[in-house]
Amino acid sequence: MHVRIGLLTEGGYPYVSGDARLWCDRLVRGLERHVFDVYALSRSEQQEDEGWVPLPPQISRVRTAPLWTAEDDGVVHGRRARRRFAEAYGELASVICSAGTHGARGTREAFGRGEAVGTGEALETGEARESGPILEADRFGNALYGLAELARDEGGLVGALRSEAAVHTLERACRAPGVLGAAREARVPDLLAVAAHLERALRPLSLDWYEDDGLGSVDLCHATAGGSAALPGLLAAHFHEVPLLVTEYGVPLRAHYLGASGDAPVRALLAAFHRQLTAEVYRRAACLTPGNSHARRWQERCGADRARIRTVYPGMEAARFAEVGEAPESADPHTLVWVGRVEPAKDLILLLHAFAEIRRAEPKARLRIVGAAAGDEGAAYLGHCRALAAQLFPDEADRVHTVGDNPVSFEEIGDPAVPDLAEAYASGAVVVLSSVVEGFPISLVEAMFCGRPTVSTDAGAVVEVIGGTGLVVPPRNPRALAEACVALLRAPERRARLGAAARARALELFTVEQNVAAFRGIYLEVVSHAPVRKAVLDETGALLPFGALAEAPVPGRWTEPRLGTGGLGVAGVAGVAGVAGGAGLGGAVSGRPRWAVDTPVRATGTPPAATGEPVPAGEGAR
Amino acid sequence: MSELRLDGLEARDGAEQWDGPSPSKPSLSKPGCPSRAEGAQGAASRARGGPGALSRSDAAPRSLPRSEGVPAALFPSEAAPRAQVSPGAGRVSDSAALLEGDYPETVAEAEAAGGVGFGADDEGRISPESAPASGRGGVDPVKALMHRHRELCERAVDPLEIAAGLEAYGVTDRTAARFRHRDVFSLAEEMYARVPRDAETPPERRPPPPAASGPGGGWAVLALLPGALCAAAVAGVRLTHGQPRLAVAAAGALAVALGLRVALRCGPLRAPLGTTSRNGTWTCWLIAYALLGDGLLAAGLAAGPEGPWPLATTPVLALALSCAPALWCAHLLSVRARRKLVASRGLADFADSVKPLLLGVFALYLCALVSLLAVCGKVLDEPAVSAGAVALGALLLLARLLTVHGFPHAPAVVLCTAALTETCALATVFASRLPGCSYLAVPVRTVTDAWGPGAVTALVCGIAALLLLGHATRTLTRASAHARPPGAT
Repeated sequence: MHVRIGLLTEGGYPYVSGDARLWCDRLVRGLERHVFDVYALSRSEQQEDEGWVPLPPQISRVRTAPLWTAEDDGVVHGRRARRRFAEAYGELASVICSAGTHGARGTREAFGRGEAVGTGEALETGEARESGPILEADRFGNALYGLAELARDEGGLVGALRSEAAVHTLERACRAPGVLGAAREARVPDLLAVAAHLERALRPLSLDWYEDDGLGSVDLCHATAGGSAALPGLLAAHFHEVPLLVTEYGVPLRAHYLGASGDAPVRALLAAFHRQLTAEVYRRAACLTPGNSHARRWQERCGADRARIRTVYPGMEAARFAEVGEAPESADPHTLVWVGRVEPAKDLILLLHAFAEIRRAEPKARLRIVGAAAGDEGAAYLGHCRALAAQLFPDEADRVHTVGDNPVSFEEIGDPAVPDLAEAYASGAVVVLSSVVEGFPISLVEAMFCGRPTVSTDAGAVVEVIGGTGLVVPPRNPRALAEACVALLRAPERRARLGAAARARALELFTVEQNVAAFRGIYLEVVSHAPVRKAVLDETGALLPFGALAEAPVPGRWTEPRLGTGGLGVAGVAGVAGVAGGAGLGGAVSGRPRWAVDTPVRATGTPPAATGEPVPAGEGAR
Repeated sequence: MSELRLDGLEARDGAEQWDGPSPSKPSLSKPGCPSRAEGAQGAASRARGGPGALSRSDAAPRSLPRSEGVPAALFPSEAAPRAQVSPGAGRVSDSAALLEGDYPETVAEAEAAGGVGFGADDEGRISPESAPASGRGGVDPVKALMHRHRELCERAVDPLEIAAGLEAYGVTDRTAARFRHRDVFSLAEEMYARVPRDAETPPERRPPPPAASGPGGGWAVLALLPGALCAAAVAGVRLTHGQPRLAVAAAGALAVALGLRVALRCGPLRAPLGTTSRNGTWTCWLIAYALLGDGLLAAGLAAGPEGPWPLATTPVLALALSCAPALWCAHLLSVRARRKLVASRGLADFADSVKPLLLGVFALYLCALVSLLAVCGKVLDEPAVSAGAVALGALLLLARLLTVHGFPHAPAVVLCTAALTETCALATVFASRLPGCSYLAVPVRTVTDAWGPGAVTALVCGIAALLLLGHATRTLTRASAHARPPGAT
């Protein structure tokens, strides 16, 4: 079965400098029988300038939009639109101002004209306390979709979000009874900061992606990250009931908490907004695929339904480590290797101190630190580490006449001694990881592919990656790290056993193939659970039977499989520059019986009044 | 609490024991909670460097379930048993031996190997027997943790923030188990709940960033550029005659226009990026009219012009020189407005406090302009202060301020209308010479008869400036107008 997948990225895939582009690329190339429409939000002007990676033919279209800037489209709202905006924005503001205070005060007064969006002012106190979080999530969702509908109907959301009316609405929400203590303290600069941040965060609402020929035409939205990337998917689910699949290798909410700055009111309000947005994404997603159990825990914590969570480990290319992995004896038995990007979170200082202890027990031990510094901070940290290493370990020589050498060496991939990554791992008997903070430890997986035993600190997803195939010590404990390393250095058989076990585990769990296969299955499962939602009406509003064939969304593939890759797919790629809407629509129409071509109208179960206008599915349901 | 005195012994004597993995592993393979508790205790005792190999069964009281938020004093009796644990408990474990074993056990082992945990360091202990310096293995480990992460706890706006911060510090669910919590989230919730929050005192705020005092980026020098160029051009025009004079005048006009552009582009009157300002043309038009228009109008009314009519250089020179005070005034407005922004509590409050500021700055500029006009008139020996020049200056300043603060629409309309009105006035005067159209000049003639030849400029620009002033008092007093520093996107 062919599935048309809307791949939603933020600062990601088609861009050369995007996050997780390798994973997306492998996914798209691995699932060549499906059709992908990429909807990409770019993160900076520089990213846009750097261009795209080469795209495979199964990508039929790419639409991009900047997230770093927003042109005010100059639309000035009329009276009705202004009122709609004030209602929806006021509701949003009141939810984020009062988030988490339910129960403490009983009924929160629905702010402004809340009844328009379905909050129960008539709710009794007890009832509100019972259904507090659910009601809150509903209100948030309704407000969000209210803004999205306004943007779709009238445009001009950017100007409205920047306007004084928005700040004023926020202020009233903060002064309403029963709000967070921090919100009550908000001053004018705080309000301005929050309004500006909300404007940035809600920019995807103003996009023109949600038409029938845009995200309305896909069978499944796959958001490659939570947060902003999933927002278009939420709206597609709202407008067109497209199922949403969200993959999270990091946790955007957690990143927001760690990166938040500003005064307490700003942080409180923004945290509430992001929490609500995340909860809404988790609530609406048909399936969530966290990349590790750490992300999974956060998802469960933020209200995701366990039944819809499937952990899918990221896949990595195993082939380039095969040679090293099958020749474990190539290693120097006294060498420890650390591989990674040098930054403070990796805690190389700890490693150096531990190595000092190791040297006391095993004087022949050597440590190779392989990796480049990440950013200015990383460079400074690397310099610091070099200085510390020089201080701790003076150069030493075997005999009087030979030139001395330092037992700790700092190298980069590409140096003569370390031509590639596999060589770096191959040179060591034990691979060490000393991070304080770690997401998914890629270097650990690579070491496992290479069949090297590992000693790592218990951070992030380390324990679940390593399983029982290596040693794990607590973070910030040089002595424990040293003990573990010494134990392994002294026991070659144990090293071999652990290395073989690690390689077997990695080959089973962390290959590209398992990742792609998991997503292939999940796509089909999600699509098969999604309701049949496309029905075509003729101009009188009567249902056209077989108006939308199952194959119709996959143009040029089902009738002429030989020409499939050379047909519209390639044409779409060639003409994708930003707005390749026409090709996709033409294809969709051409895949439909001839008598069904005239201005297709989507049905929502019950045929709407015969106005002949497209009716979004969500509105009818509400 | 005699064990606590052992603090003096350095933890160094554990060093010999690194030489090999501990033989005590089998005793550790108890599954689940007890094994974890041992890990913690091993950690505590090893950190203390206690040599004693006291009975491990003393660990039992530790594994009692602890309810959240129990006062620390409820557990005084635990302190002693916990201090008496063998240091041999925690040694490196080999997970490979446990390949067939299950996951938690591996974790427990890893922790047992671990040694020092977060609860092991306790600076905030309550126990009266202990000296403050010997704070190890406190009664209330969560309190110790809170003490260590005091800033995080005080700063946090919700429990998830503490959870994120703890994780960033390296606390995992295994660590949280040491605090008798299921995971980091519930540990963070307890910490969040236990942070003393006084509802009355507002959270402390960062001091506002020091306002940029004085001009930065050299715009103050550039602000003088249009004035200097204009003065040079006027001098050139005055000193030359005939053909060169025309060339000098054209070059001077071009130079002044460019200088003005440069001065406006890098100062506090910088227009925000993305707003395409179409006001340049109309501004030039209005200034050209101030230079040439009045003379032409007067000549036109007197059935002229015959030959070159007199140029009004004073207003143009004064306007060019007034670029500097205009930039200073805009700078003053933005700095003061941001200061008021930080200080004010509500939007209405802010609007009330900014209105006098705006009017004051506006008046300041007018004063500067009038005095410049007077000086220029005296130097150039021309008729001094004209109402038209003052009104034009006011109009241009207000238009620029509005554009800079993100309201480009109204100034564009008003400037365009003013320029077109002036052109119309001029056109009607000459059109009235057509046969049968003499009535066209009546309005202009009436005005000039009543108030002199400069009245048209004064009237048009004055009305336009008043309109913009009214608009500005409503829009520039909004907080959103001052949200971003001028020129930011």
